[in-house]
Amino acid sequence: MKTRIKEYRVKHKLTQEKLAEVVGVRRETIIFLEQGKYNPSLKLAHNVAKALKTTVDEIFIFDDSY
Amino acid sequence: MKKRRVFIAIAITALIVTIILISVKAYYVAIALIVGTLIMGHRELWSLIRRRKLPPIDERVRENVNKSIRNGFIFLVTALAFLMLPFSIRLIETPNTVNVLGGLFVSGGMVYLLSYLFYDRVEPRLGERGLRMLRIFLLVAGISLAAGIISVVLHNVIYGLFIHFFGADFWDRSGVGDEPVFFIIALLSVVAFAVGIIGSLVMFFKGLFSRSP
Repeated sequence: MKTRIKEYRVKHKLTQEKLAEVVGVRRETIIFLEQGKYNPSLKLAHNVAKALKTTVDEIFIFDDSY
Repeated sequence: MKKRRVFIAIAITALIVTIILISVKAYYVAIALIVGTLIMGHRELWSLIRRRKLPPIDERVRENVNKSIRNGFIFLVTALAFLMLPFSIRLIETPNTVNVLGGLFVSGGMVYLLSYLFYDRVEPRLGERGLRMLRIFLLVAGISLAAGIISVVLHNVIYGLFIHFFGADFWDRSGVGDEPVFFIIALLSVVAFAVGIIGSLVMFFKGLFSRSP
């Protein structure tokens, strides 16, 4: 899974820490999400997308072959 | 507030256990406990020092804790049985309780830390088939453990019961010596246990060191 969280975060001039605070998670969780190492729940994905003023399918890119 | 109370309760418990361990001169176990607690709580401690508040317990942390509790529990129980087996069949004549408990504590703690730190990396890399294999190996270890304990207990109970009802020389008169069935099952379960644990560790490390999907 690839994500565009970092791209959107930078666009909104948010730090990982600030985004984590807005979403209500730890900074490490944001790091894992940005690196595509953690599959979030639908709720968390929705919250991240909402914080970045976009949609879930815009920031989470799923490889169909996998 | 609730989080802070839980954190303080865990810290005080760890402190009390450490003092008890030092008082019984189990220094290396105490050190392992301190190091383990610091590794597990370093983010919380750092956050308390820097921002005077605890970080949130989000879904990732909750998932990791749940998985590590489950894995740690499985390992601890299997390791306990593995250590109890030689006691029961008297392979170890002079067991040092503190050393045995220390070894158990350290090995259980290591697996607990490994799964706490790396499970979320291992899980997606293993894939469905790999996870199924891991589950099978853990089940083999768990079942063999249960079989081992039950066999050892039944072995002793049946041995004792027959002596109680038929006299002290029953096993000599029977010609089969000691009651052998459960004894053999107990021994075989050690092999199955070893296969289960080694298989689980192989799968775990395979997931840890393989490339991302």
